[in-house]
Amino acid sequence: MKKTLLLIAIAASLITNAQVNTVSLQASGLTCSMCSNAINKALKALDFVQDVDADMKSYTFQVSFKPNSIIDFDMLRKSVEKAGFTVCAFVATIHFDKREVKINQPVTIQHQTFLFANGATTLLDGNMLIKFLDKGFVSQKEYKQHAFLAPPPHSYHVALD
Amino acid sequence: MKKIVLSAICFFSVSCKAQELFSMSEPASNMPARSIAFRIDNLIMDEINSSKINYHLIPGIRAGISKKLMINGSAFFSNRLKQFKAEGASLYAKYRFLSNDAVQKHFRMAAFGTLSFNNSDIHQEEINLYGHNTGFEAGIVATQLLHKFALSSTVSFAKVLDNGNNNMYVYGSQNSRVINYSFSAGKLMLPVEYRDYRQTNINLMVETQSQVNTGSGKYYVDVAPSLQLIFNSESRVDIGYRKQISSNLIRTAPNGFFIRIEHTFFNAF
Repeated sequence: MKKTLLLIAIAASLITNAQVNTVSLQASGLTCSMCSNAINKALKALDFVQDVDADMKSYTFQVSFKPNSIIDFDMLRKSVEKAGFTVCAFVATIHFDKREVKINQPVTIQHQTFLFANGATTLLDGNMLIKFLDKGFVSQKEYKQHAFLAPPPHSYHVALD
Repeated sequence: MKKIVLSAICFFSVSCKAQELFSMSEPASNMPARSIAFRIDNLIMDEINSSKINYHLIPGIRAGISKKLMINGSAFFSNRLKQFKAEGASLYAKYRFLSNDAVQKHFRMAAFGTLSFNNSDIHQEEINLYGHNTGFEAGIVATQLLHKFALSSTVSFAKVLDNGNNNMYVYGSQNSRVINYSFSAGKLMLPVEYRDYRQTNINLMVETQSQVNTGSGKYYVDVAPSLQLIFNSESRVDIGYRKQISSNLIRTAPNGFFIRIEHTFFNAF
Protein backbone atom coordinates (compact mmCIF):
# COMPACT_ATOMS: atom_id res chain seq x y z
CA MET A 1 0.00 0.00 0.00
CA LYS A 2 2.79 2.32 1.07
CA LYS A 3 4.67 1.42 -2.12
CA THR A 4 1.60 2.15 -4.28
CA LEU A 5 1.23 5.58 -2.70
CA LEU A 6 4.92 6.17 -3.33
CA LEU A 7 4.54 5.21 -7.00
CA ILE A 8 1.54 7.54 -7.39
CA ALA A 9 3.48 10.33 -5.72
CA ILE A 10 6.45 9.77 -8.04
CA ALA A 11 4.21 9.73 -11.11
CA ALA A 12 2.91 13.12 -10.05
CA SER A 13 6.33 14.50 -9.20
CA LEU A 14 7.61 17.92 -10.09
CA ILE A 15 10.04 17.94 -12.98
CA THR A 16 12.79 20.31 -12.06
CA ASN A 17 15.36 21.98 -14.19
CA ALA A 18 18.54 21.10 -12.32
CA GLN A 19 22.03 19.85 -13.12
CA VAL A 20 23.96 17.08 -11.34
CA ASN A 21 27.53 18.38 -11.15
CA THR A 22 29.50 15.78 -9.20
CA VAL A 23 29.10 12.87 -6.81
CA SER A 24 31.35 12.36 -3.82
CA LEU A 25 31.22 8.84 -2.42
CA GLN A 26 33.07 7.22 0.42
CA ALA A 27 33.85 3.50 0.31
CA SER A 28 34.15 1.24 3.33
CA GLY A 29 35.77 -2.11 3.97
CA LEU A 30 39.25 -1.33 2.65
CA THR A 31 42.64 0.04 3.63
CA CYS A 32 45.20 -0.77 0.96
CA SER A 33 45.88 1.10 -2.27
CA MET A 34 45.21 -1.98 -4.42
CA CYS A 35 41.63 -2.10 -3.09
CA SER A 36 41.23 1.64 -3.58
CA ASN A 37 42.56 1.28 -7.13
CA ALA A 38 39.98 -1.43 -7.85
CA ILE A 39 37.21 1.06 -6.99
CA ASN A 40 38.92 3.87 -8.90
CA LYS A 41 39.15 1.75 -12.07
CA ALA A 42 35.62 0.36 -11.73
CA LEU A 43 34.16 3.89 -11.50
CA LYS A 44 36.28 5.13 -14.42
CA ALA A 45 34.99 2.26 -16.58
CA LEU A 46 31.40 3.60 -16.46
CA ASP A 47 30.48 5.25 -19.77
CA PHE A 48 28.90 8.36 -18.19
CA VAL A 49 31.88 9.07 -15.92
CA GLN A 50 34.28 11.79 -17.06
CA ASP A 51 36.85 11.50 -14.28
CA VAL A 52 37.43 10.15 -10.78
CA ASP A 53 39.53 12.01 -8.23
CA ALA A 54 40.44 9.61 -5.43
CA ASP A 55 41.39 10.83 -1.97
CA MET A 56 43.27 7.78 -0.74
CA LYS A 57 43.43 9.01 2.84
CA SER A 58 39.68 9.29 3.34
CA TYR A 59 38.63 6.59 0.79
CA THR A 60 36.54 9.26 -0.92
CA PHE A 61 36.03 9.36 -4.70
CA GLN A 62 34.95 12.57 -6.40
CA VAL A 63 33.18 11.59 -9.63
CA SER A 64 32.56 14.04 -12.47
CA PHE A 65 30.34 13.30 -15.47
CA LYS A 66 30.48 13.62 -19.23
CA PRO A 67 28.36 16.49 -20.59
CA ASN A 68 24.79 15.51 -21.57
CA SER A 69 25.24 11.97 -20.26
CA ILE A 70 22.57 10.06 -18.34
CA ILE A 71 23.90 9.64 -14.82
CA ASP A 72 22.97 6.41 -13.08
CA PHE A 73 23.51 6.63 -9.31
CA ASP A 74 22.75 2.92 -8.84
CA MET A 75 25.52 2.01 -11.28
CA LEU A 76 28.00 4.07 -9.25
CA ARG A 77 27.01 2.18 -6.09
CA LYS A 78 27.12 -1.19 -7.86
CA SER A 79 30.61 -0.47 -9.23
CA VAL A 80 31.95 -0.04 -5.70
CA GLU A 81 30.21 -3.27 -4.65
CA LYS A 82 31.56 -5.20 -7.66
CA ALA A 83 35.05 -4.08 -6.70
CA GLY A 84 34.36 -5.86 -3.40
CA PHE A 85 33.45 -2.96 -1.10
CA THR A 86 30.53 -0.92 0.21
CA VAL A 87 29.44 2.70 -0.15
CA CYS A 88 29.09 4.35 3.27
CA ALA A 89 28.42 7.94 2.16
CA PHE A 90 27.07 9.28 -1.15
CA VAL A 91 26.57 13.00 -1.74
CA ALA A 92 25.63 14.59 -5.08
CA THR A 93 26.27 18.24 -5.82
CA ILE A 94 23.21 19.40 -7.75
CA HIS A 95 22.61 22.86 -9.13
CA PHE A 96 19.01 24.03 -8.63
CA ASP A 97 17.26 27.02 -10.06
CA LYS A 98 15.03 28.25 -7.21
CA ARG A 99 12.99 25.14 -6.50
CA GLU A 100 10.87 24.84 -3.39
CA VAL A 101 10.51 21.29 -2.04
CA LYS A 102 8.46 19.81 0.77
CA ILE A 103 9.07 16.68 2.80
CA ASN A 104 8.27 13.54 0.78
CA GLN A 105 7.31 15.58 -2.26
CA PRO A 106 9.06 13.87 -5.20
CA VAL A 107 11.29 15.96 -7.42
CA THR A 108 12.48 14.61 -10.77
CA ILE A 109 15.88 15.61 -12.07
CA GLN A 110 17.23 14.10 -15.29
CA HIS A 111 14.98 10.99 -15.19
CA GLN A 112 15.71 10.31 -11.52
CA THR A 113 13.32 11.00 -8.68
CA PHE A 114 14.30 12.40 -5.30
CA LEU A 115 12.19 12.17 -2.17
CA PHE A 116 13.34 14.73 0.37
CA ALA A 117 13.12 12.98 3.69
CA ASN A 118 13.86 15.77 6.12
CA GLY A 119 13.01 19.34 6.92
CA ALA A 120 9.94 21.41 6.24
CA THR A 121 9.60 23.43 3.04
CA THR A 122 13.04 24.21 1.66
CA LEU A 123 14.12 26.47 -1.13
CA LEU A 124 16.77 24.81 -3.27
CA ASP A 125 18.83 27.38 -5.08
CA GLY A 126 22.34 27.17 -6.49
CA ASN A 127 24.69 24.26 -5.74
CA MET A 128 23.18 22.05 -3.05
CA LEU A 129 24.72 18.96 -1.44
CA ILE A 130 22.19 16.14 -1.58
CA LYS A 131 22.91 13.12 0.59
CA PHE A 132 21.46 9.75 -0.41
CA LEU A 133 19.87 7.74 2.42
CA ASP A 134 18.77 4.44 0.90
CA LYS A 135 20.28 1.02 1.54
CA GLY A 136 23.70 0.70 -0.09
CA PHE A 137 24.30 4.48 -0.11
CA VAL A 138 24.93 4.85 3.63
CA SER A 139 26.63 2.64 6.20
CA GLN A 140 24.67 -0.35 7.49
CA LYS A 141 24.48 1.38 10.88
CA GLU A 142 23.07 4.60 9.42
CA TYR A 143 20.62 2.73 7.22
CA LYS A 144 19.09 1.09 10.28
CA GLN A 145 18.23 4.57 11.62
CA HIS A 146 16.15 5.43 8.53
CA ALA A 147 15.15 1.96 7.29
CA PHE A 148 13.30 3.36 4.26
CA LEU A 149 11.22 1.04 2.14
CA ALA A 150 13.19 0.23 -1.01
CA PRO A 151 12.12 2.89 -3.53
CA PRO A 152 11.31 2.07 -7.18
CA PRO A 153 14.28 2.05 -9.64
CA HIS A 154 15.96 5.41 -10.12
CA SER A 155 14.19 6.90 -7.10
CA TYR A 156 16.05 7.88 -3.97
CA HIS A 157 15.37 9.09 -0.46
CA VAL A 158 17.62 12.08 0.08
CA ALA A 159 18.34 14.87 2.52
CA LEU A 160 20.22 18.15 2.36
CA ASP A 161 23.73 17.43 3.61
CA MET B 1 53.60 -20.72 23.34
CA LYS B 2 51.49 -18.18 25.28
CA LYS B 3 54.53 -15.89 25.30
CA ILE B 4 54.96 -16.17 21.52
CA VAL B 5 51.30 -15.29 20.92
CA LEU B 6 51.57 -12.35 23.33
CA SER B 7 54.75 -11.06 21.63
CA ALA B 8 53.08 -11.39 18.22
CA ILE B 9 50.09 -9.36 19.43
CA CYS B 10 52.42 -6.70 20.89
CA PHE B 11 54.42 -6.49 17.66
CA PHE B 12 51.35 -5.90 15.55
CA SER B 13 49.54 -3.61 17.97
CA VAL B 14 52.27 -0.92 17.96
CA SER B 15 50.10 0.92 15.50
CA CYS B 16 46.94 -0.95 14.81
CA LYS B 17 46.60 -0.72 11.07
CA ALA B 18 46.49 -3.63 7.72
CA GLN B 19 46.78 -5.96 4.82
CA GLU B 20 45.24 -9.25 3.98
CA LEU B 21 46.69 -10.47 0.68
CA PHE B 22 48.27 -13.40 2.44
CA SER B 23 50.98 -15.55 0.94
CA MET B 24 50.07 -18.94 2.38
CA SER B 25 46.31 -18.65 2.65
CA GLU B 26 43.42 -16.80 1.02
CA PRO B 27 41.46 -14.07 2.80
CA ALA B 28 37.64 -14.04 2.89
CA SER B 29 37.68 -11.06 0.49
CA ASN B 30 37.59 -11.81 -3.21
CA MET B 31 39.16 -10.27 -6.27
CA PRO B 32 37.18 -7.40 -7.80
CA ALA B 33 34.51 -8.58 -10.25
CA ARG B 34 35.69 -8.60 -13.89
CA SER B 35 39.37 -8.61 -12.94
CA ILE B 36 41.94 -11.23 -13.97
CA ALA B 37 45.25 -11.91 -12.27
CA PHE B 38 48.22 -13.97 -13.36
CA ARG B 39 50.36 -15.41 -10.62
CA ILE B 40 53.55 -17.44 -10.55
CA ASP B 41 54.46 -19.27 -7.36
CA ASN B 42 57.97 -20.57 -6.87
CA LEU B 43 58.64 -22.99 -4.00
CA ILE B 44 62.27 -23.76 -3.27
CA MET B 45 62.05 -26.55 -0.71
CA ASP B 46 64.93 -28.22 1.07
CA GLU B 47 64.60 -32.01 1.06
CA ILE B 48 65.11 -33.63 4.45
CA ASN B 49 67.70 -36.45 4.48
CA SER B 50 69.34 -35.24 1.27
CA SER B 51 71.06 -32.20 -0.12
CA LYS B 52 68.47 -31.94 -2.89
CA ILE B 53 66.41 -28.81 -3.47
CA ASN B 54 62.90 -29.39 -4.79
CA TYR B 55 61.75 -26.60 -7.04
CA HIS B 56 57.99 -26.28 -7.62
CA LEU B 57 56.73 -23.86 -10.24
CA ILE B 58 53.00 -23.13 -9.98
CA PRO B 59 51.60 -20.69 -12.53
CA GLY B 60 47.98 -19.69 -11.95
CA ILE B 61 45.22 -17.60 -13.42
CA ARG B 62 42.42 -16.17 -11.26
CA ALA B 63 39.33 -14.17 -12.00
CA GLY B 64 36.63 -12.28 -10.13
CA ILE B 65 33.38 -13.62 -11.59
CA SER B 66 31.04 -11.47 -9.50
CA LYS B 67 31.32 -9.41 -6.36
CA LYS B 68 30.98 -12.60 -4.30
CA LEU B 69 32.60 -15.33 -6.43
CA MET B 70 36.15 -15.87 -7.65
CA ILE B 71 37.89 -18.81 -9.27
CA ASN B 72 41.51 -19.85 -9.66
CA GLY B 73 43.23 -22.42 -11.86
CA SER B 74 46.80 -23.53 -11.22
CA ALA B 75 49.25 -25.90 -12.90
CA PHE B 76 51.93 -27.82 -11.02
CA PHE B 77 55.48 -28.33 -12.28
CA SER B 78 58.46 -29.61 -10.31
CA ASN B 79 61.91 -31.15 -10.54
CA ARG B 80 61.35 -33.49 -7.59
CA LEU B 81 61.76 -36.58 -9.75
CA LYS B 82 65.07 -35.51 -11.31
CA GLN B 83 63.50 -34.10 -14.44
CA PHE B 84 61.51 -30.84 -14.40
CA LYS B 85 58.01 -31.69 -15.60
CA ALA B 86 54.29 -30.98 -15.36
CA GLU B 87 52.65 -32.98 -12.58
CA GLY B 88 49.09 -31.77 -12.26
CA ALA B 89 46.58 -28.96 -11.91
CA SER B 90 43.93 -27.61 -9.57
CA LEU B 91 40.72 -25.61 -9.65
CA TYR B 92 39.68 -23.40 -6.74
CA ALA B 93 36.51 -21.37 -6.11
CA LYS B 94 35.63 -19.06 -3.24
CA TYR B 95 32.25 -17.54 -2.38
CA ARG B 96 31.99 -14.62 0.07
CA PHE B 97 28.78 -15.02 2.04
CA LEU B 98 29.21 -12.44 4.79
CA SER B 99 30.52 -8.91 4.68
CA ASN B 100 30.28 -6.32 7.45
CA ASP B 101 32.07 -3.21 6.21
CA ALA B 102 32.93 0.04 7.95
CA VAL B 103 35.53 2.69 7.07
CA GLN B 104 38.95 0.95 7.09
CA LYS B 105 37.37 -2.11 8.68
CA HIS B 106 35.61 -5.28 7.70
CA PHE B 107 34.66 -8.69 8.96
CA ARG B 108 34.08 -11.14 6.16
CA MET B 109 33.50 -14.84 5.76
CA ALA B 110 33.76 -17.06 2.71
CA ALA B 111 33.41 -20.71 1.76
CA PHE B 112 35.84 -22.33 -0.67
CA GLY B 113 36.49 -25.57 -2.45
CA THR B 114 39.48 -27.05 -4.29
CA LEU B 115 39.82 -29.94 -6.72
CA SER B 116 43.36 -31.10 -7.38
CA PHE B 117 44.89 -33.62 -9.71
CA ASN B 118 48.45 -34.87 -9.55
CA ASN B 119 50.44 -37.48 -11.48
CA SER B 120 53.54 -37.71 -9.32
CA ASP B 121 54.43 -40.51 -6.90
CA ILE B 122 53.14 -40.35 -3.32
CA HIS B 123 56.22 -39.76 -1.21
CA GLN B 124 54.93 -38.37 2.09
CA GLU B 125 52.18 -38.74 4.70
CA GLU B 126 51.47 -35.02 4.61
CA ILE B 127 48.51 -34.29 2.35
CA ASN B 128 49.18 -31.34 0.08
CA LEU B 129 46.74 -30.44 -2.69
CA TYR B 130 49.02 -27.64 -3.89
CA GLY B 131 51.35 -29.68 -6.06
CA HIS B 132 51.56 -33.15 -4.46
CA ASN B 133 48.24 -35.00 -4.11
CA THR B 134 45.05 -35.70 -6.00
CA GLY B 135 42.01 -34.90 -3.86
CA PHE B 136 39.48 -32.31 -2.82
CA GLU B 137 39.13 -29.77 -0.05
CA ALA B 138 36.31 -27.60 1.33
CA GLY B 139 36.51 -24.98 4.03
CA ILE B 140 35.55 -21.71 5.62
CA VAL B 141 37.65 -18.56 6.03
CA ALA B 142 37.01 -15.57 8.28
CA THR B 143 38.96 -12.31 7.96
CA GLN B 144 39.00 -9.21 10.13
CA LEU B 145 40.52 -6.01 8.76
CA LEU B 146 41.29 -3.26 11.27
CA HIS B 147 42.92 -0.24 9.61
CA LYS B 148 46.36 -1.44 8.46
CA PHE B 149 46.18 -4.72 10.34
CA ALA B 150 44.47 -7.92 9.19
CA LEU B 151 43.77 -11.25 10.85
CA SER B 152 42.47 -14.30 9.08
CA SER B 153 41.70 -17.87 9.99
CA THR B 154 40.84 -20.86 7.80
CA VAL B 155 39.51 -24.31 8.65
CA SER B 156 39.08 -26.91 5.95
CA PHE B 157 38.50 -30.59 5.38
CA ALA B 158 40.52 -32.41 2.73
CA LYS B 159 40.26 -35.91 1.34
CA VAL B 160 43.09 -37.40 -0.65
CA LEU B 161 42.65 -39.92 -3.47
CA ASP B 162 45.17 -42.01 -5.41
CA ASN B 163 47.38 -39.95 -7.69
CA GLY B 164 47.36 -40.41 -11.45
CA ASN B 165 49.73 -42.80 -13.28
CA ASN B 166 48.81 -45.58 -10.79
CA ASN B 167 50.54 -43.80 -7.95
CA MET B 168 48.53 -45.13 -5.01
CA TYR B 169 47.98 -43.35 -1.70
CA VAL B 170 49.91 -45.86 0.37
CA TYR B 171 49.03 -44.73 3.90
CA GLY B 172 45.60 -46.41 4.02
CA SER B 173 42.12 -45.11 3.25
CA GLN B 174 41.43 -44.63 6.99
CA ASN B 175 44.26 -42.06 6.95
CA SER B 176 43.15 -40.23 3.82
CA ARG B 177 41.25 -37.36 5.51
CA VAL B 178 42.74 -34.33 7.17
CA ILE B 179 41.67 -31.10 8.83
CA ASN B 180 43.78 -28.10 7.76
CA TYR B 181 43.76 -24.91 9.73
CA SER B 182 45.65 -21.69 9.37
CA PHE B 183 46.03 -18.41 11.17
CA SER B 184 47.41 -15.35 9.38
CA ALA B 185 48.31 -11.84 10.48
CA GLY B 186 49.41 -9.07 8.16
CA LYS B 187 50.34 -5.46 8.59
CA LEU B 188 50.78 -2.64 6.12
CA MET B 189 54.14 -1.09 7.08
CA LEU B 190 54.64 1.45 4.28
CA PRO B 191 53.60 3.93 3.08
CA VAL B 192 52.70 5.61 6.35
CA GLU B 193 50.31 7.86 4.47
CA TYR B 194 48.79 7.27 1.03
CA ARG B 195 49.19 9.95 -1.62
CA ASP B 196 48.82 8.11 -4.93
CA TYR B 197 48.45 4.68 -6.48
CA ARG B 198 52.09 4.50 -7.57
CA GLN B 199 53.48 4.36 -4.05
CA THR B 200 55.05 0.98 -3.24
CA ASN B 201 53.30 -0.81 -0.40
CA ILE B 202 55.27 -2.97 2.01
CA ASN B 203 53.40 -5.56 4.05
CA LEU B 204 54.68 -7.94 6.68
CA MET B 205 52.91 -11.22 7.31
CA VAL B 206 53.20 -14.08 9.77
CA GLU B 207 51.18 -17.18 9.11
CA THR B 208 50.81 -20.62 10.63
CA GLN B 209 49.70 -23.64 8.63
CA SER B 210 48.66 -26.85 10.36
CA GLN B 211 47.27 -30.24 9.48
CA VAL B 212 45.82 -33.07 11.55
CA ASN B 213 45.12 -36.45 10.01
CA THR B 214 41.70 -37.57 11.28
CA GLY B 215 42.72 -41.24 11.02
CA SER B 216 46.21 -41.42 12.44
CA GLY B 217 46.02 -38.28 14.57
CA LYS B 218 49.42 -37.25 13.19
CA TYR B 219 49.96 -33.56 12.60
CA TYR B 220 52.28 -30.77 11.55
CA VAL B 221 52.53 -27.09 12.48
CA ASP B 222 54.46 -24.70 10.22
CA VAL B 223 55.17 -21.02 10.51
CA ALA B 224 55.76 -18.77 7.50
CA PRO B 225 56.90 -15.15 7.82
CA SER B 226 56.85 -13.18 4.59
CA LEU B 227 57.48 -9.77 3.10
CA GLN B 228 55.19 -8.42 0.40
CA LEU B 229 55.74 -5.56 -2.01
CA ILE B 230 52.87 -4.06 -4.01
CA PHE B 231 53.80 -1.95 -7.04
CA ASN B 232 51.56 0.53 -8.83
CA SER B 233 48.55 -0.83 -6.89
CA GLU B 234 48.31 -3.75 -9.34
CA SER B 235 51.40 -5.99 -9.03
CA ARG B 236 52.78 -7.84 -6.06
CA VAL B 237 55.85 -9.82 -5.06
CA ASP B 238 55.84 -11.98 -1.92
CA ILE B 239 59.02 -13.45 -0.48
CA GLY B 240 58.83 -15.75 2.49
CA TYR B 241 60.18 -18.76 4.29
CA ARG B 242 58.14 -21.73 5.50
CA LYS B 243 59.50 -23.61 8.51
CA GLN B 244 58.20 -26.67 10.30
CA ILE B 245 57.80 -26.05 14.05
CA SER B 246 56.47 -29.42 15.05
CA SER B 247 55.38 -32.61 13.29
CA ASN B 248 55.12 -36.37 13.60
CA LEU B 249 54.15 -36.91 9.95
CA ILE B 250 56.50 -38.19 7.26
CA ARG B 251 57.29 -35.09 5.20
CA THR B 252 59.76 -34.85 2.31
CA ALA B 253 60.63 -31.16 2.22
CA PRO B 254 58.69 -29.03 4.72
CA ASN B 255 61.15 -26.12 4.90
CA GLY B 256 61.96 -23.66 2.18
CA PHE B 257 61.58 -20.32 0.47
CA PHE B 258 58.64 -19.17 -1.56
CA ILE B 259 58.38 -16.34 -4.04
CA ARG B 260 55.10 -15.20 -5.59
CA ILE B 261 54.77 -12.78 -8.49
CA GLU B 262 51.29 -11.58 -9.41
CA HIS B 263 49.76 -8.97 -11.67
CA THR B 264 46.09 -7.93 -11.71
CA PHE B 265 44.22 -6.56 -14.70
CA PHE B 266 41.16 -4.63 -13.53
CA ASN B 267 37.99 -4.46 -15.70
CA ALA B 268 39.48 -7.19 -17.89
CA PHE B 269 36.20 -8.63 -19.16
